[in-house]
Amino acid sequence: MGDHKNIWVFVEFKAGVVRGVSLELIGKAKELAEKTKESVCVVLIGNNVSQFCEEFSSHGIDQIFICEDEILKEYLTETYSKILVELAEKYLPDIILFPATKIGRDLAPRIAATLNTGLTADCIDLDIQEGNLLQTRTVYGGNYLADTICPNTRPQLVTVRPNVMDKSEPTENNQPEIIEIPCTIDPTKLKTKIIEKIETNVSDIKPIDEAEIIVSGGRGIGSKENFKIIEELANVLNAAVGASRASVDAGWISKSCQVGQSGTVVCPNIYIACGISGTTQHLVGMKSSKKIIAINKDPNAPIFDVCDYGIVGDFKTIIPLLTEAMRQRLSQD
Amino acid sequence: MRFIVCVKQVPETNDLKIDQNTNKTVTEGVSTIINPFDQLALEQAISIRKEGDEIVAMSIGDPKTKSTLMRCLALGADRAILLDDELFQDSDTFGTANILVSAINKIGDYDLIFCGNSSFDTGSGQVGPELAALLKVPQMTYVESVDEIKEGKIRAKAQTDEGYRIIESTIPLVITGIPPSSFQPSIPPLPKIMAAQKKPYDVWNTDDIEGDKNKFGAAGSLIKIVKLYEPPKREEGIIITEDPEPAVEKLMELLIKDKVI
Amino acid sequence: MIEFTEEQELIRQSVSEFAQKRIAPIALDMEKNKEIPKEVIKGMAELGLLGCTADPAYGGSGLDAVTAGVIAEELAKGDCTGSTCVFYLVQASWGYLFNKYGTEEAKKEIFPKVTSGDWFLGIATTESGGGTDVVGGKTTIKKDGDDFIVNGEKMYISGVREAVNGGGGHVTIGHQSPELGSRGMTVFYLPLTSEGITPTYIEDLGREGISCGGFSIDNVKIPKKYIIGEENKGFYIIHEGYEYARALIAVICAAAGLKSLENGMNYVKERTVFGKPLAKFQEINFRLAEHYTKLEMLKSLGYEALRAIDLEQEGKGDRFETSKIVAMSKMFASDWACEAINDVIQWQGAFGYSRECPDQAAWRAVRSFSLAEGTREVMKMIVARELLGKELTSYK
Repeated sequence: MGDHKNIWVFVEFKAGVVRGVSLELIGKAKELAEKTKESVCVVLIGNNVSQFCEEFSSHGIDQIFICEDEILKEYLTETYSKILVELAEKYLPDIILFPATKIGRDLAPRIAATLNTGLTADCIDLDIQEGNLLQTRTVYGGNYLADTICPNTRPQLVTVRPNVMDKSEPTENNQPEIIEIPCTIDPTKLKTKIIEKIETNVSDIKPIDEAEIIVSGGRGIGSKENFKIIEELANVLNAAVGASRASVDAGWISKSCQVGQSGTVVCPNIYIACGISGTTQHLVGMKSSKKIIAINKDPNAPIFDVCDYGIVGDFKTIIPLLTEAMRQRLSQD
Repeated sequence: MRFIVCVKQVPETNDLKIDQNTNKTVTEGVSTIINPFDQLALEQAISIRKEGDEIVAMSIGDPKTKSTLMRCLALGADRAILLDDELFQDSDTFGTANILVSAINKIGDYDLIFCGNSSFDTGSGQVGPELAALLKVPQMTYVESVDEIKEGKIRAKAQTDEGYRIIESTIPLVITGIPPSSFQPSIPPLPKIMAAQKKPYDVWNTDDIEGDKNKFGAAGSLIKIVKLYEPPKREEGIIITEDPEPAVEKLMELLIKDKVI
Repeated sequence: MIEFTEEQELIRQSVSEFAQKRIAPIALDMEKNKEIPKEVIKGMAELGLLGCTADPAYGGSGLDAVTAGVIAEELAKGDCTGSTCVFYLVQASWGYLFNKYGTEEAKKEIFPKVTSGDWFLGIATTESGGGTDVVGGKTTIKKDGDDFIVNGEKMYISGVREAVNGGGGHVTIGHQSPELGSRGMTVFYLPLTSEGITPTYIEDLGREGISCGGFSIDNVKIPKKYIIGEENKGFYIIHEGYEYARALIAVICAAAGLKSLENGMNYVKERTVFGKPLAKFQEINFRLAEHYTKLEMLKSLGYEALRAIDLEQEGKGDRFETSKIVAMSKMFASDWACEAINDVIQWQGAFGYSRECPDQAAWRAVRSFSLAEGTREVMKMIVARELLGKELTSYK
């Protein structure tokens, strides 16, 4: 345990850019590093990733591990986990932070079991307690929080929920040490391969997982046409459009917008729920949003039990009025 | 071919009380169900099963878990195994994966292992990949559907953060399943429930699976729960019931006052 | 209180899932559209609920009566209109009779279509002249070579439209040797698609998802294979179908009543008046306690009656004891459930009186059961007869 030190952040890319959550992890890593007096390092695995070193030079990172190769262009468990395991076995980090994205949640447990160490998933807070990383996560559909530690093994691994931690703020420039890692993957020995990629995120649909404001429509919206009312408000607020499972199943909106237990768990600053009754499965997906505003015709809808502000009424009348009010307000600023 | 499906029995609701002395939930008197994602995993296995293939449903639990395993038999599994031992209790995901590895080694050769992507109660989504790592086989996660096995390989449609991908792997491997929005869990029909009573059902303890006891249960867990507690309560919301125009005005006032916008 | 086997609990869970997910959300629509959607009937068939008491050789599951009761109970919890409950119970009870006494040929022909949900199977003994006095019926059945010719009419029969339009028929009774009275009646299967059947339809008060009507029978020819049991001995076997149905009805009434009480309980816990929840008022919570107790007693007795039927089948029961306990279980079933649901409607105020309230549909459904498959008065006659003997209780 004494040999292990430093806090690593596994950086994830999306459509050729560094994902926002990576900066959140770096922000948290720096906070933790102050307490443990360790260095913060980032791990970049992929193709043509050295171009991003520049981006990290103003965030107080001490080391950047880079493994670049054509074969690492797309994420595959077997390639990324081999590289990362070898890296961790050589450099012995104390803590590794992964984003709780689909990639992060596929990779981190693989690494943990291979390294015979513990992992806690989807953390919403991290701290240091008595030399251990104190990990806080939601359990039982968000009804409870669990604080956990990994006292006996190193490294301590966690996946961290996007949009919860504060992003790292750029400080003065420093020059992180760049350590290039050779890619030891033998293409002839690979057991898995990607046959086809199907992108459903139309480029002009703002993704919900990292949005700061989400305007969401449920069964009460009633039709694909009516979703335009939701989109109007989202446009004015520069927000993402979300949906309950009912709307997705009805074919009114893409599955990539689905918020909920079998969709995406989101944590925006503002979540506006329109015509959403608030089933348990949906609440699991959004109830840790910082502020929740609910619009629903039914005064008994469960969503009113978790919202901060609610209007009982028909979204068809209310939302256009709200859109106009927001438009006016925002043009004032 | 042999497919092994790992299932978990979970409480029907997440509205549970906690015992702060033991840091555990109180499940006494709460109805239980099969973890919904695990039923999907079983149905994925059934969807590619051919004549002569064997599907084994396996679960770590106690005598109450039998109803979940009987449901698996009624849905189409050929054999069920309950892993029941005090020493298995209080396992973290790593301990759980180790128990499953020992049990799988006891079962023998296998071609595919199916699990649900995550459980309804604790939801960490770790057991599948940890199991794959310990077995040293490939993994495919967030899988919505699988194609049949062809020439020692299998293809699956998996969710990604951008949409989907079709991924191919050699067998054996571990597949963790997540339902597509169209998924309607099957309801076991009566004749199959009655036939299930005659299918093989075994109960194994630590000695039966001959694994390293130090890797099971609380002893084998690497993650310790320090505290289980309620999140800070949200203050009761302000519900506005006026007519649309004054209602929106009032909402805007509140949002501005509270610095939300 | 009866204890259920593991297998029965698994069956209960399947039917419950089906009833809650596929029937409950559209229950009131079934009354608006006056039919059970085809998908629901297909779903019931796929689950193995239709014709479930017939032998596996004909596509049934050979279920015992207690298990048939478990299915009825869960359907009643999900279907506030009772339509699918009636659909199910007539098939279970009269399917049981048909399975026991019907010819091989007829069973092989008819059951597969019933279990698949294609054909309806019901019961038609009531006539416009009377239902309770079965021997007083006017329908006749006459041998004609290898066939039989039926004449007469039936009225207030469930499932006439379903059988006429979709295929299937009803277990019916008629006089084969009228001069012999009760000793000359024959039970038979009557396909409602036969030439000579003229249906009429009635709107009744509830259970509107399943049709109610009658039909005249004008020289309808049926083959020998459709005779159920021995010729002229029909009066001695028909009670078995009635008893099966009656015991199922007791369980259905209890389940429907208890479900309504649950709705009522949820309501009175939330709704406030004068600053406190309705539940705090003694007028409300005492009534809740009384209805709950009576309905749980009813449910227990219903299952005891079903068990008695099973024991008799196994050769372990007593004919008259079974008859008595079945009559006891149905005697107050409808009344007690109606009283409970009546109060649940009252607690909910104006909403309780609106068509959107599921409990008003449940009341209308359950109201029928003091009449269907043997009236409340007949139940009293049977119990009195078992207690005092035929001589003291004969009406002749």
